[in-house]
Amino acid sequence: MSNSISTRLITVLTAAAALIISAGMLLDYRVSREEILQRLTEQAVAETRVVISDMESWLNSVEATTRLLASILEQRQYSEAGLQQMLRDVVSNNNQIFGAAIAVIPGSAEGNEGFAPYFYVRDGQIHFADLTSDQASYTEQAWFTEPLSRREAVWSEPYFDKGGGEVNMTTFSVPVYRKDETGASYPYAVVTADVTLAAINTAMQQLHLGASSYGLLFSRKGILMSSRSGQNVMKHYSELHFKGLDLDGWRLMFQRALRGETSTRDFPCADNSGRCTIRLGRLGITGWPVGVGYHQNEVLSPLHHFELKTAAISAITLLLVVLAVYALISRLTRPLSELTRATEDMARGNLDTPLPRASGEDEVARLVRSFSSMNRDLKSYIADLESVTASRSRLEGELAAARDIQMSMLPEGGEALLNVENITLWAKVAPARTVGGDLYTYYRDGDQLFLAVGDVSDKGVPAALFMARAISLIQQLAGTATPPHQAMTELNNALERDNHSCMFVTLFLGVLDLRTGRLRFASAGHTAPALLREGGVSVQNQATGPALGLVPDQLYPDNSLQLQNGDRLAIYTDGIDEAFNERAEMFGSERFNRALLASAHLSTAQAGQSLFTAVTDFAGKQPQSDDITLMLLDYAWPAAASATGRFTLGDTLTGHVHGWMEPVLADWELAETFKTELTLVAEEIVSNIQKYAGLADDAHIELLMERHHDKLVLEVRDPGLAFNPLREARRSTLGEDIESAEIGGLGVHLITQFTDRQHYHHEDGINVLRVEKDRPPKLDGHS
Amino acid sequence: MDLTTTVAVDEENSVARVSLAGALNTDTAPAFELRLQDVVDKNYALTVLDMKDLDYISSAGLRVIFKAAKQTRGRGNKLAAANRKPHIDKVFEILKALPDMAVFANEQELDDYLDSMQSQVRGD
Repeated sequence: MSNSISTRLITVLTAAAALIISAGMLLDYRVSREEILQRLTEQAVAETRVVISDMESWLNSVEATTRLLASILEQRQYSEAGLQQMLRDVVSNNNQIFGAAIAVIPGSAEGNEGFAPYFYVRDGQIHFADLTSDQASYTEQAWFTEPLSRREAVWSEPYFDKGGGEVNMTTFSVPVYRKDETGASYPYAVVTADVTLAAINTAMQQLHLGASSYGLLFSRKGILMSSRSGQNVMKHYSELHFKGLDLDGWRLMFQRALRGETSTRDFPCADNSGRCTIRLGRLGITGWPVGVGYHQNEVLSPLHHFELKTAAISAITLLLVVLAVYALISRLTRPLSELTRATEDMARGNLDTPLPRASGEDEVARLVRSFSSMNRDLKSYIADLESVTASRSRLEGELAAARDIQMSMLPEGGEALLNVENITLWAKVAPARTVGGDLYTYYRDGDQLFLAVGDVSDKGVPAALFMARAISLIQQLAGTATPPHQAMTELNNALERDNHSCMFVTLFLGVLDLRTGRLRFASAGHTAPALLREGGVSVQNQATGPALGLVPDQLYPDNSLQLQNGDRLAIYTDGIDEAFNERAEMFGSERFNRALLASAHLSTAQAGQSLFTAVTDFAGKQPQSDDITLMLLDYAWPAAASATGRFTLGDTLTGHVHGWMEPVLADWELAETFKTELTLVAEEIVSNIQKYAGLADDAHIELLMERHHDKLVLEVRDPGLAFNPLREARRSTLGEDIESAEIGGLGVHLITQFTDRQHYHHEDGINVLRVEKDRPPKLDGHS
Repeated sequence: MDLTTTVAVDEENSVARVSLAGALNTDTAPAFELRLQDVVDKNYALTVLDMKDLDYISSAGLRVIFKAAKQTRGRGNKLAAANRKPHIDKVFEILKALPDMAVFANEQELDDYLDSMQSQVRGD
C-alpha cells in the first residue's frame, strides 16, 4: 500500500504543508527576533542608564555636600570647634560619606601651624582623628596636594585607608580659596569626603541583567573599584583575567571609555556556557569608566522562550495539518481503495465481489459504474465462453475419435514398418489437423507387394471423409491382379460417381515384384517418387494421368522401374515439398532429395523419422499447412533358393531328373520357356555323363539348383572319369549338309547355347560342371 | 514325360505321317528310333514328322531325326517336319539342324506341298 494514491497524496501534501508552515514560521521568527533583540537592547541600555544615573546622583550628593562645606569654609571664618561640629554633622547626616576632613594649609592664615580634623564611621560609631598628629604629614598626601595643584576638585584614586577606616575608599577633595584684603585669592584649605568602595559596590550591583550579570567600575587610572565578587577590587585591569578578552582589547575599551565613548566586547564566558558581553562607558561626573558584564543567553532568554514557542506552535500546526490531510484524503480515496480491492478480487476470478456504492458524478463514481457494467459484461461473456468451450471440447472429442478411426484405416495405424525377406517398408502420415486427407496402404500377396500413397484435395474433415472412401476402394483393389494403370482407371470411375463436391485425390499406385525388384506403377497426378541409388538421388520420370475423381473414363500410363539391390524409394505427398517456413520459403524437392541422401546411412524407419524432422525443423514455428505422408521402400535382392537331388544312373535317369526338376521350377515361378530350356540343359548334361563317364549303373550323380534373383545355377557332380565336356566332348559341326553331318555331338551345343556361363572343374575325384542361366526380366507379373 | 507316336500312311501318294506327342528325350528316343526306322525302311517318298503335340526335344531326339534324314536322303526320299512349336524350332535353329529339310509351319503348307508333289508324280 506504500504506492497507493492516498499514501502518496498524504506524503506530498504533508511535505508541502510542512514546507509552507516552516517557511512562514521562519519568516515570523526572523522578524520577531529582530524586534525582540531590539527591545532587549533598549531594555539593557535603559537599565544601565538608570543605574548609572543613580550612581551619578549618588556621587553627586557626595560632591554637593563636600562643595557646600568648601564654599561655607570659603566665605566664613569658623572656630575650630565650630568646624569640627560641622564636619561631624556631615559624616553623621550623609550615609554615603564614610569620612570627611577639613585640612587647613599650614601658615595660610594667622600663622597657624596646621589644622586637620577628620571624622569617620567605624562599626556604626563616629570617630575623630587629628590628621596633624600623623607621622606622615597630611600636606604631602595626594588627596591634599592634587586639588591644590590642579586648582579644582578631584576624586582620588582608590586606596586603602590605614589607621582610619581600614577600608578601601576614594576621596573627593575640594580646594578652598580665600581672598585677602587686596582681593587676591589664596589657598586656604582642602575639604574631603571619603566614600568606601563597598558602598559604591552596593550601588553598582543594582545593575541587573540576568542572574550572572555584574557591574564594573574603574578609576581613571584603571583600578577596579567595583565588581561582582569584590575579589579583584583594587587591582589594575591589566591584572584581571577575562578569558577570551586580551589586554589590548581591554586597553582599547578603557581608552574609549575615558574619552566618553561606549564600546562593547563579546567573548566566551569563563564557565564555557556561551558568550558573554562587556559594555563599557564613562561615568559623567567622575570620568570613571563604568560598565556591565552579562551572559548573552541570560539576556536573550526571552528570545529563546520565543523560539521554543514558535517551534512548538509549528509542530502542533503541522500535526493538525497532517491529521486533516489524512482524514480528507482517506475520505476522498476510500471509494477508490474499495474499488481497487474489489477489482483485485475480480481479477482472482471472484466476479461476484460487491463493488463499492457510488454516488454523485465524480470520477470515482463514474469509474465504479463503468466497472460494474464491465463486470456484468464479463460475466455474460464468461458464461458464453463456457458454453462455447463445452461444445468445442465435445467437437474435439469427436474429432479425436474420428482421427482414431481414420488412422485405423491405414496399416499399423498411421505409422507402419513392414519387414519381409528382401524389402523394408516404412510409412507415416502426419495430418495437418486432427484428421486429414493423406493416405498410404500396402498389401503383400506372395511375391507381389501392392503399395499406394495418396493425397486428397484440401485437408481436415471433408478430406478425411473422401480419404475414407478412397482408401476403401484402393484396398479392395489390392488383392486383385489388375495392373496399376488399369486399377487406376477403375478407381477413378468409382470415385467420380456421385462426387458432387468435386473432391479429388492424387495417387501413386504400384506393384512391386519382390523377387525381381520390378516396380510397375501408375500415377494419378501424384508427386514423382525419388530414388536413392548408389549415393545419388534422382526423381523418377513418370507418365501420369489426371487426379482421381473428377472426369470418368481416363487412361493412366503404365510406368515401370527396376529396383536394384540397396535402392531406397521415397514416395511422398506434396505436404513435404510444399512445406513453408516463417520466411515463406518452400521446402522443395531439392531439399527433400538432399535430406534423403543425408539419411542414406540410417535404417528405413530412422531415415523416415529424420526426413519428418527435417521438414518440421525447416517449418520452424510456421504451423503445418498440409498433411504429410512419406513412404520409404528399401529393396535388396531376394535370398537365393536351392534344391539338390541325387540320382542313380540307369535307364530312366532323364525321367527321374525331369521329375525332380519340374515341381522345384514350378515353385520358383519361372517362365515356361526358361523351364523347358533348363530341363533340356540338365538332360544333355546327365545323358553325357551316362554315356561317357564310364560309370556303373548303380553309381550316383548329384544335381544342385540355385535360384538367384537374376539367374539360375545348375551344378552336376559325378564321380566318373575326369572329363571336361566343355572342351573334350565331341561336337558336331553345325550347319553341314545332311550327307556330311555327323550323327550326335549336339548335346554340348545345346548346353552352351541355352546357358549363359559354363564352368567345369575337377575336385576330389569328382567332375563338377556348373552352368548359369540368366533370368529374363519379367514382363508381366501375372503371366 | 512320355512320347506317343502315331503313324499314318498314304500308300497312294507314298507319304507317311508320323505324329509325335509329348517329349522326345534320352528316355523316349530309343523307342522312337525303332518306330521311325520301320517307317524309313518302307521307303516312302515322303515322311512327314508332325510335331504339333511335341512339347520337348533333346539332342537325343534330334540325333534320331538326323539319322532318319540321312537315311531317307540316301534312298532318294524326303523327310519333312511340320508344326514345330517355337521352342522346338529354337532347338533346331541353335543346332542349325537339317537346314535343307522341308519345314511346314502348318497344315495348309503341308497340303499345298502334297498337292504339288502329286501333280509332279502324275507328270503334269
